[in-house]
Amino acid sequence: MDYSILLAQAVLNGLVIGVMYMLMAVGFTLVFGIMRVVNFAHGEFYMLGAFTGFFTYVYWEIPFIVCLLIAALTIGILGMLVERTLIQPFRSDEMSGMIATLAISVIIQNGAVLLWGPQPRAMPDIVTGTLAIGPFSFPWSRLVVIAAAALIFTAFWLFMQRTRLGRAMRAVAQDTETALIQGIRVNYIYPLAFGMSVALAALAGALMGPVFSVSPFVGLTPMLKAFVVVILGGLGSVPGAVVGGLLLGMIESFTATIFGSLMSDILQLLLVILILLVRPAGLLGQREA
Amino acid sequence: MEGSSIATMGRDEPRLAPRRRLLPAAVLVIVLAAALILPQLTSNQFYIHLANLMLLNSIFAVSLGLIASVGQISLGHAAFVAAGAYVSALAALSFKLPPILGIVLAGLVTGLAAVLLGKILLRLRGVYFVLVTFLAGQVFTLIVLNWESVTHGANGLLGIPAISIFGLPLSTRLRFYYFALAAFIIVVTFVWALMRSQYGRAFRSIAENVRLAESSGIDVSHYQIVAFALGSGIAGAAGAAMVHYIRFLSPDSFTFNDSIAYITMLVVGGRHTMIGGVLGALFLTPLPELFRGFVGAQHIIYGVILLSVLLFIPNGLVSIGRSFFSKGSEPETPK
Repeated sequence: MDYSILLAQAVLNGLVIGVMYMLMAVGFTLVFGIMRVVNFAHGEFYMLGAFTGFFTYVYWEIPFIVCLLIAALTIGILGMLVERTLIQPFRSDEMSGMIATLAISVIIQNGAVLLWGPQPRAMPDIVTGTLAIGPFSFPWSRLVVIAAAALIFTAFWLFMQRTRLGRAMRAVAQDTETALIQGIRVNYIYPLAFGMSVALAALAGALMGPVFSVSPFVGLTPMLKAFVVVILGGLGSVPGAVVGGLLLGMIESFTATIFGSLMSDILQLLLVILILLVRPAGLLGQREA
Repeated sequence: MEGSSIATMGRDEPRLAPRRRLLPAAVLVIVLAAALILPQLTSNQFYIHLANLMLLNSIFAVSLGLIASVGQISLGHAAFVAAGAYVSALAALSFKLPPILGIVLAGLVTGLAAVLLGKILLRLRGVYFVLVTFLAGQVFTLIVLNWESVTHGANGLLGIPAISIFGLPLSTRLRFYYFALAAFIIVVTFVWALMRSQYGRAFRSIAENVRLAESSGIDVSHYQIVAFALGSGIAGAAGAAMVHYIRFLSPDSFTFNDSIAYITMLVVGGRHTMIGGVLGALFLTPLPELFRGFVGAQHIIYGVILLSVLLFIPNGLVSIGRSFFSKGSEPETPK
């Protein structure tokens, strides 16, 4: 009996962090697939999203769903501006673009320290109470996170599959030049894709605000995990990011329950290095030409 | 700009050759003399400390530049620095190994580790390599934190002895300065000679075009492992030297932020030349001192400088100096 409760709890925790990793990794892999840019600042947009969610929810006392919308919009627009001004100049140079995102990450993180201080802030839960099914009880606050993340991803997936813009993005990811010939305006697609990507990160940050705490340093772990996920799933592959995210969440939750969280982190990173050795393109990725 | 100066260089080479060789030599002698004498003129310990850090950072940046010279950027460089520091510090504390031997040992161990790691990681190119060096750096930090029986975890190692040469302990800042200067000169001379050798030519051709180099019969992975091992080994030895100077070591001593700082120095100075790392380190090490008292401001300034250099002078400070010199030493060429 004890074991089954422990197991259920591990599954729930695994799902919560899994969906967060999924949202992070989907955005990260989208930008890499379309722009060939490795965005080292991805975690900082997560952090900005968490702060936006925190301030709007705690100080303005508006419904949380509106907070989420505000976070996605403001951070998305910020992302577009960042892409347009700071990343676009390096389009032909993968390495410089990557170093530029490193610089952006350093500036955003330390700017946040300067503005809001380094100490973590606790954010109140959005909903309270638990859902009881037989002997198990699940807190609603966690279930809401999972449901919201699933909804957000579904919306993103429909956008990518069903709209003209989504199709254009996928076309650019497949072959930029051919897309250009077909009349797709790559110069609009790039900032838009980057904005969407960081908006997903911001949504993940705002959703996780009540689960963890909010501080300028909360972006590092999700970003690290996004790296792990995209290597697991294949860099540039959205389905790979989904599978990899959920898988990593589960692995993390179970190894942490058994071995403790530090050991769990080490095991995950060793797993990545192993995967790279055996299958460098990732589980669902395609070998690069 | 670049093209025209190369063109004139080729044409005017015979006439300008003696002057071209004399000027750098004279500059070198003056700089060296200044480096030897200047510290004697100041009694301010802080300036000497800053000079020591500049020399050590130069070595870190140059060793990273060596890895970058085959077209790979390592985001785990600080982990090798830390690994060297731990090897030497633990050898000195547990086995009473003289620090000077500890530094050599640290260089060998980190170099060897880089060979093994390189055999695995260097199959990955470009972005994947960067991501994995980043992750490997994180693994290293986690292991150090976790392995408390050896590394004392987050508490760190205290009472690490100073380097001593022939019974003379380098316990003052000034004495260490001359040691660091000698180490710096050895490293720079070594890298300079290496880059002029057959190895250097192979490195450059790999950086320029991996596939072309490979199809020309250059054993790319061999040269990449050599560059990675030498760069990491030098970083490890320099990390060991630094820990016998600072005499305290914890997992926070060398972190991901330091890896970024080394990259910043390299890029700001000019990542395609050896001297670039030196210039970057000399320029960026003292800079934060101007902005003391603002928490986090130092990192922001590093970030802003890094971005501006990438955007406006992609070849780094070296390229400014070069265009200045080429304007000064030869007449403007007609098109």
